[in-house]
Amino acid sequence: MSQTFKKETFRDDYTFSNSAEAIKRFPFPFPEDEYMYSVNIEPHVKTAVGSVTEFVIDVDEHYVAECEDKKITLERDPDRYLSLPHMMDAQWDTLELIMDSMSHDYPDLFKLTKDGDNWTWINKPLGITNTFVFGDASSLPMDPLKYIGCQAQGDWVVLDQRDNNLFADAAIVTSQADWSLAIDVGMSYQEWHGPVPIANEIGVFDRALKYLLNLQLGSPVRRLNWTMTINPRLDTSPESYPLWGPDRLSITPENVGDKVHLRVELQTLFRLPRSNGIVFGIRGYLISMNELVTNPFWAKRFHRILKGLHPELAEYKGLSFKDVTVDWLSKYDDGTPSQ
Amino acid sequence: MERQYWIRSKPVYTSLLWHEKATAHLVIAEGDGGMAVLKLLQQKYPTQVVRGFYAKSSDSLKNYADIISSLIPDEFTVFANANDALKSLKNSLAEYHMGTRFYVAGSEAFIWQVAKELYDFGVQDDDIEKELCGTLARSVYCVHCKAITHNVHHNIVNCTGCQRKLFVRDHFSRRLGAYMGLMVDAEQPGDIPTINEVYP
Amino acid sequence: MSHLNVKVAAIEQVTEYVKHFTLVSENGEKLPSFSGGSHVVLALNIKGRIHRNPYSLMSSPLNTENYGVSVRKQELSRGGSVFMHEQIEVGSRFQITYPVNLFSLSKLSHKNILIAGGIGITPFLSQIVDLNRTQTDYELHYAYRSPEHGAFREEIQEMCGDRSHFYVASDGQLIDFNDLLSEQPLGTHVYVCGPEPMVNAMIAAARELGWPEKHIHNEQFTAPQIGESFKVKLAISNIELEVPTDMSMLEAIEEAGVDAPFLCRGGACGRCELEVVACDGSIIHHDNYLTDAEKNSGKKIMPCVSRAKCQNIVVNL
Repeated sequence: MSQTFKKETFRDDYTFSNSAEAIKRFPFPFPEDEYMYSVNIEPHVKTAVGSVTEFVIDVDEHYVAECEDKKITLERDPDRYLSLPHMMDAQWDTLELIMDSMSHDYPDLFKLTKDGDNWTWINKPLGITNTFVFGDASSLPMDPLKYIGCQAQGDWVVLDQRDNNLFADAAIVTSQADWSLAIDVGMSYQEWHGPVPIANEIGVFDRALKYLLNLQLGSPVRRLNWTMTINPRLDTSPESYPLWGPDRLSITPENVGDKVHLRVELQTLFRLPRSNGIVFGIRGYLISMNELVTNPFWAKRFHRILKGLHPELAEYKGLSFKDVTVDWLSKYDDGTPSQ
Repeated sequence: MERQYWIRSKPVYTSLLWHEKATAHLVIAEGDGGMAVLKLLQQKYPTQVVRGFYAKSSDSLKNYADIISSLIPDEFTVFANANDALKSLKNSLAEYHMGTRFYVAGSEAFIWQVAKELYDFGVQDDDIEKELCGTLARSVYCVHCKAITHNVHHNIVNCTGCQRKLFVRDHFSRRLGAYMGLMVDAEQPGDIPTINEVYP
Repeated sequence: MSHLNVKVAAIEQVTEYVKHFTLVSENGEKLPSFSGGSHVVLALNIKGRIHRNPYSLMSSPLNTENYGVSVRKQELSRGGSVFMHEQIEVGSRFQITYPVNLFSLSKLSHKNILIAGGIGITPFLSQIVDLNRTQTDYELHYAYRSPEHGAFREEIQEMCGDRSHFYVASDGQLIDFNDLLSEQPLGTHVYVCGPEPMVNAMIAAARELGWPEKHIHNEQFTAPQIGESFKVKLAISNIELEVPTDMSMLEAIEEAGVDAPFLCRGGACGRCELEVVACDGSIIHHDNYLTDAEKNSGKKIMPCVSRAKCQNIVVNL
């Protein structure tokens, strides 16, 4: 992977863009021309070199810029990191997972040395070095989850498992697809999935919960989720809705290619050793329509997906600009096979 | 109120019924929650110890304090207001043991204030019976400025913190004891749906 | 499911019936940390057939050098414990699962009462390390048959100090559950592991006192029951097989080369649940997972512990 990190923004002037390489490896999530919710969980195992799932945690060309954006969001709203008091073991488990993975998979970028419980962590791209005592929160400049969450792309939700249920008791969330951590922290699995239509009726969530309760140490899993965003904006939280809401109605046939983005979430789930909790990584990948249609198969498929999308799903995902996007995409769809 | 789909985070309240197996029963009620207390007293009275806290409220339809006191004067302590009751509750919880059953009745805001006190002592949410009485008034948490606006009776409310008009969602946070409030006209400023009193 | 390759580094005869095994990674690598109350499933090759038996991890959860498990020799068993006692020696190798926890401590608990009967003491030993480390309030009550059967008593006294209480049945000491549970502060959770009658008595006492279900925890592995043989048809794989008397349905399926999902192998977790398409007899449920309604419907079976009394049963695998 390229060690050149892009200088770009995910707000205000939105200078974000994908290189040709980033487009090529984009996790296009649609195996068919139609989309419906499913328990599409699979083992989180290594895939092809260069793909987003080659490594346990993916570090790409947007790494530095994303971490910078995350920092801004946290400074403006510290409640994007919240943790209930009993979650410290799980926080340390998460820190260990992220540091072990990133230093193992990207040895040129991250270095971790352990001398018993005395750890030294070097993050070259961000210029961070810390020596600390694993398990001693006072030896780090901030809580372990916040510390490491700021150095890994995506959002991290740490779940406590109890009473045959999962609870979102700690998280660092700066790039969410429209849910509020301040409201959702401490919620059970059913509660935080509350506002999702249809899926509840078809039992998808209950089956997924059963599966997750049995998630095994050493056998992480993953799935893909998707939505759409106007402008390559990471912080599409309810909190900042007044900032990004108006953009949803600003789409015209002329600016679809530039402004409308497909946002794919690579969700990873790991059982944590000491706390027996689960950490849920939510990693967003953005691609503009202009970038997407450089792959003719994706163009055709996505046109069909959007055109046939269940109206309740479209509404829940906030796709008020769906029709103008479908129209724009139609010129790339000649009806021939999409793969 | 959202009709398109059922939101599982929205609490569902029940009618208070005594638990048969218990070491003791603790009943905490406010205002029109007094009716729920009286309904409990209409059921077969428990063999175990019963204790109660009743907080008077100016909004009550009836003088429940007097009725309750006349029926079981020794078991219930009456307070002039919710804050006094909550304070006294907090100071007494260390005396209670496992096997105590908890019953709360009153406005939604009161219910979750009591729950918060109980959580501090390791009582879990499912261990608390809750009956909503007298009003559907909601507390609304503004995700934009974080202020909580109390006593909301309408589907859309002016945030007391930032003045934005917030749509009152059914998505409820037990931790905050409030419903999510989201700016209703972010996409088209000034385009406000009809405002109705739906939580009288 | 991922596995760890381990070998036996040491064996200790703890009491007449209990042996303790120290396991290390075959290649000298560190073993994973785990949470107190976890167990591992050992894959034992007994006379050419793989038996999978769960054992609680007794070592400290922070010990990544080795794992400790203890096995009580059960005469009336399918051979796993006898095999461990008589055939396994220092240097023996086998596979184990990663640690799995179906008996974890509640992190919301203000106080924990741990109650152990006999070999049921094993899961508590790793939990105690976690409790000491997090400085959470707890008491351990350990009941055993007679002085020579008090496995690990000294170790426990050292780890717990005056938080530990011992009850030796032959000296007439028995746990009075009603006494123990009647004046515990709010926020207490109780955990029990031991023989079925003891577990049932404790749970009954707690319920009678009004303890809510979520504050009562028990770990009870059900060993696969020995029973009559029966035929199984796997509808999706299109394989027919026979479950012999001394093998569980899950084991028979695995023997036939089919990779069936499982986790605890003790009827507790639900992972191995199979849909029953047809059965010309009745299902004998031995699990602790399905509801009564589900058991009665005859449409579900937990192959790790349950069996069928029939000519033929068809499942969706």
